[in-house]
Amino acid sequence: MILISFDIDGTLEEGDPPGVLTIDFVREAKEDGFLVGSCSDRPISAQRAMWERHGIEVDFAVSKHMLGDVKARFRADVYYHIGDREDLDKRPAERAGFEFLWPHEALERPWLGRRARGVFEGTRAG
Amino acid sequence: MSTLPAPASVYRAKEGLGLWEHRGKVAAVGIGHSPTFRRWDGTPENSVGGISLEALRRAMDDAGANPADIDGLVMDPSTTTGAFWPKGKPLPWEAINAYRRTDDPLDGITGLSAEWILANMPELTGIGFTTYGVGCMSNAICVAAQAIGDGRAHTCLVLKSWHNLEGRYYQGGANAGEAIPGSSAIRSLWGTPACFGTAVQFAEYCRKYGKSHDMMAPFIENSRRNGLKFPEGYWAQHRPEEITPEDYAAARWIAKPANLFDNDLPIMVSAAYLFTTAERARHLKQKPVYILNHATSRTRPRSLTPTLDEVEEDTARTARKIYEGAGITADDLSFENMYDGFALFHQFHIEGLGYRGLKFGEALDFYQTDIGISGPNPVSPSGGNIGCGRSRFWMHTDCIQQIQQRAGARQVTGVKPEIAVSGGPMPVGGNYMVWSATPD
Repeated sequence: MILISFDIDGTLEEGDPPGVLTIDFVREAKEDGFLVGSCSDRPISAQRAMWERHGIEVDFAVSKHMLGDVKARFRADVYYHIGDREDLDKRPAERAGFEFLWPHEALERPWLGRRARGVFEGTRAG
Repeated sequence: MSTLPAPASVYRAKEGLGLWEHRGKVAAVGIGHSPTFRRWDGTPENSVGGISLEALRRAMDDAGANPADIDGLVMDPSTTTGAFWPKGKPLPWEAINAYRRTDDPLDGITGLSAEWILANMPELTGIGFTTYGVGCMSNAICVAAQAIGDGRAHTCLVLKSWHNLEGRYYQGGANAGEAIPGSSAIRSLWGTPACFGTAVQFAEYCRKYGKSHDMMAPFIENSRRNGLKFPEGYWAQHRPEEITPEDYAAARWIAKPANLFDNDLPIMVSAAYLFTTAERARHLKQKPVYILNHATSRTRPRSLTPTLDEVEEDTARTARKIYEGAGITADDLSFENMYDGFALFHQFHIEGLGYRGLKFGEALDFYQTDIGISGPNPVSPSGGNIGCGRSRFWMHTDCIQQIQQRAGARQVTGVKPEIAVSGGPMPVGGNYMVWSATPD
């Protein structure tokens, strides 16, 4: 099992500023059976409202410093946090025992967001 | 000749000055706000100069004033939220050259002079008086009120604007230099987050009075709720997110016991007011809001961070100045709009005022009662910086709009809006204004 935590601002297209990862990218990770959620400085209620608006049933929505709690709550083989800040994403994620990906690195992972990126079996959408 | 800061003698910083000599003879009539942005997008129209022109023109339009009749301009030339143009970064010439320039190419981008404003507002043909109220809108409105009272201008635009650039704030400017002067070396360079001093005071407050940080939750919830009813504000315009007690309790510490939501969000925004004499105000479009007094605290703490004792002494002293010059008591306040950016010092302001009979140590219990806009004890009906983003002027706009009965969904309904007080920023060191529906 893989768990993926998404930062919002600067990481997702809905972020302020917008990031490179689309909501469909997250949706697909969920559909592919990953444990998916958000870890952001946005109020937790606002994170939940955002996912509800997009019809994505996330497994968790937590504040930025709570990745350790997420790890304690969910059993997974590997834990990823995707974010755009060295100080507020990368370092806390690594301290909490998560692998860290910058948003552009997440786009390059072949096992993540293939359909959202338009990558199909042997073909690439125009 | 360059515009100069107003002299210290303009501010009413001492006790015992008696009634303000111009009490009720100066009025606010027009309000103009620019749209808000999280950061500058690089376009000329959204530069700090561009949004300032928009706010000024909206204020004149709101008041129904002829630009040619304006004879004064009071503003703050500093516009930074803590962001500075990075050393070595190419200058934004497209935005700079979209307007008439002054000698400083970043005038209108990361700062704003009165000369830049006048060069780009040819319709202001009658300006004979310009000065700076340096610091924030609270300074500028005190300076403008006194100037009109003293007859240095009869119809004055008052302006405060903020720019915010990409990247982290408080990391550039002097903080990025090889050396930094004075106590800033301790406070800014290798020191603590900006909210640290307030956090220390709040921790001492909780210890002294047996209170806890979670007792702030109703204040934060109320502030954001009010802010979401402020259409000029950042959160209402861009991210209509409430802050629930659960959200507040789960927020990360910035400087414990100050958490993320006790801090405000730096934004780009500009606001302008039109002040004039009481006599002229009666002929303009909006209901005049009369100024009963302005007061100032220039107290210097003994050390880098004021102690709780010093805070309490000074807020009480400030309140005496406010009431003495206005000829009112705490019982006359319909509502309060004291500053809140940081949320953890709002209670110092209102306890000093004795708002609704509050004594020191009682405000957090007061927050557990009905402090909403429909109740008898409205607290920060503007929503302040917590509810609207960092500007330090929502409180003044709200006082004017409430008394004019045009605060819309934010209009207080549990009290009749007759007399209000607003101001800040710090509990030790700030400028304050008393607004009234009537001149006496």
